[in-house]
Amino acid sequence: MDVYAAIHDELRAAGVRLAATLPDDWTAPLIRRIDADPAMRHVPVAREAEAVAVCSGAFFGGVRSAVVMGGTGLLTCTGELATLNLRHQIPVFCIVSQRGSIDDHRVYQEVQGRRTKAVLDAYDFPYHTIDRPEEIASLPDAYEACRLQKRPFVLFLSRRLLKGSR
Amino acid sequence: MRTREAMDVLAAARGDAIVVCALGMAANEWWAATGSEDAFYMHGAMGFAASFALGVALALPAEPVWVLNADGSLCMNLGCLITEAGQDARNLHHFVVDNGVYQTVGAMPMVHAGQADYVALARAAGFRSAQRFDDVVTLATGLAGVLAAPGPSLTVLHVEAEPTHLGTPPMTYEGPEMKYRFGRALERRLGITVFGPSGY
Repeated sequence: MDVYAAIHDELRAAGVRLAATLPDDWTAPLIRRIDADPAMRHVPVAREAEAVAVCSGAFFGGVRSAVVMGGTGLLTCTGELATLNLRHQIPVFCIVSQRGSIDDHRVYQEVQGRRTKAVLDAYDFPYHTIDRPEEIASLPDAYEACRLQKRPFVLFLSRRLLKGSR
Repeated sequence: MRTREAMDVLAAARGDAIVVCALGMAANEWWAATGSEDAFYMHGAMGFAASFALGVALALPAEPVWVLNADGSLCMNLGCLITEAGQDARNLHHFVVDNGVYQTVGAMPMVHAGQADYVALARAAGFRSAQRFDDVVTLATGLAGVLAAPGPSLTVLHVEAEPTHLGTPPMTYEGPEMKYRFGRALERRLGITVFGPSGY
């Protein structure tokens, strides 16, 4: 299975028509597919918090959207997620690479791997990890959960999902 | 010119524009000038009102969308000029109230106040339309031309700082109510669906 194509298909099935993105190497293949999709408005941004704000604005235009960013990028915008999306109860669906897991041997991801979930818990941002290809079909449910919770929702993509087991 | 004078000129020219205000002075002054509920007075994500407005503009390409930004807020997210230029949102008009200070914290000077040229920054980022107005007369006569041309535009409104903290009171609602008033106003006006059948 091409997991990136499957994720893209499920995003469309969830009704997403706009994606604001800033890539890391794990999310780049998904972003390329979004960029090539004429049915999706792709908004490349200069900083991850822009993606959060773009998707929040699009909500009020009646457009379903998603943020796509790397695990480090998520940590750059937790303040904006809290003060905009939590404050105003605006749902924002964030697809994030789960960097710093035990199989991600990049030393510059070690803090992200160890503390990101604790940060999300501190803000009470719900999250869900897709770890196996057969779980990709849960994406539309996760999208609806985000809307219902009316806050940031992080859908993590694991290294094992995107790159397979070693 | 004073911020309120500039806001009055903008309010008179607003037409159907959907307005997003950066937190602090821009929001409070627009509320004082218009009492408008189909504006989003953004209380969080300092600097990112411009990006929020871009999202609105891209979702509603047939509607004019304004962001009332301010110099401090703009500089917290300078990259937005590149992102906006890259999206080429023709319906987006970006205003920057430039008074050289962080007004709401007691008129502390902006970083490198009076020296950075935001118009030049916008042009360098790729904006086709970028201009500055220093007085109400030229603003009143020049604004129509800015709005008639396709965006994205960046218009700097050079105003005097107030001497201390911002005296203008904020809007009388916040948080979730801000979300629902704005969203319902757009649903009524444009016939779009923002909230689902169960209200979220």
